[in-house]
Amino acid sequence: MSAKESSSGSSTVEYIQHHLTNLCAGDCDPVTHKAASFWAWHLDTLFFSFVLGALIVAVSWRLSRRLTAGVPGGFQNFAESLVEFVSTQVKDTFPGYNPLIAPMALTIFLWVWLMNFMDLIPVDLLPVIASFFGIQYLKVVPTTDLSTTFALSLTVFALIIYYNIKVKGVLGYLKMFLFHPFGKYLVPVNIVMTLIEELAKPLSLALRLFGNLFAGELVFLLIALIGGTMAVGLAALFWLPLQVLLDLGWLIFHLLIITLQAFIFMVLTIVYLGMAHTTEH
Amino acid sequence: MKNRPAGSGLALVGVGSMLTSMIAAGFLLGYGLDSWLDSRPAFMVLFGGLGLVGGFLKVYKLLSRD
Repeated sequence: MSAKESSSGSSTVEYIQHHLTNLCAGDCDPVTHKAASFWAWHLDTLFFSFVLGALIVAVSWRLSRRLTAGVPGGFQNFAESLVEFVSTQVKDTFPGYNPLIAPMALTIFLWVWLMNFMDLIPVDLLPVIASFFGIQYLKVVPTTDLSTTFALSLTVFALIIYYNIKVKGVLGYLKMFLFHPFGKYLVPVNIVMTLIEELAKPLSLALRLFGNLFAGELVFLLIALIGGTMAVGLAALFWLPLQVLLDLGWLIFHLLIITLQAFIFMVLTIVYLGMAHTTEH
Repeated sequence: MKNRPAGSGLALVGVGSMLTSMIAAGFLLGYGLDSWLDSRPAFMVLFGGLGLVGGFLKVYKLLSRD
């Protein structure tokens, strides 16, 4: 662990900052390794989110070939209850019928959950393994990167606009902007207000997921620092058990958070798309 | 829960961050308009205020609907 080699305050900051820096390629700042413009790629985010997406595809493809109508095995049971759970949510929340919504909700739930789950892997494990291969920076949790959460929420936003226009027509959609909160006498205010309201949807989706996961990651880093910086000699006998205890506690609590955040993202996607499908606002 | 229009119950999940993100969205929209019209901070303040009002209204509406 890089934290164990040092005990001064500045290297504590360095340790945290190092862990919060993405592996950047393209147009990056050479000193801070942060993205300098739009054309910068966070390779670690792309890699892990792609791998986890591929994992979902591979596992469900494998499962689909082994599906039985008779007595299902353990994993099929689990998958069935998951699909059942999501489809119940969609039926309760979504007005009307759209064959795209339930599969998409399931995909969002699984993918976001898996990306969040990367948070529960020991914070130093993957970066240390990567450093053996000469990779200096590695941020393993894709959802602690704003690029991921905004990519997800802007995709949902595009779908919201698409279904709004498809269901209400272009004119019907524009009419929604004119008369919505304050009636017909305050049309300019209504336009701004509805614009703000629509813009707040992807913003809140992305920032909520990012904020929760970023904070969770930060707490894991701080807990890792307890044993790392303070355990010298006999003091380790006290600090290391404390670290283990705190880590376990936060891990169990965080397991709840990552599931809840994935669930909230899924539910709000369904709700927003449901709003797009209904004419009354 | 059963009598409510579909979606209203679970929409409450997002109430907490709705208010903040409405303000943020207002500021962002104002910021964009300001850098276009070169009039900072007029629209940023105006739209931020509108976002705050709209956020309160929206949350109130969501919470009082039953």
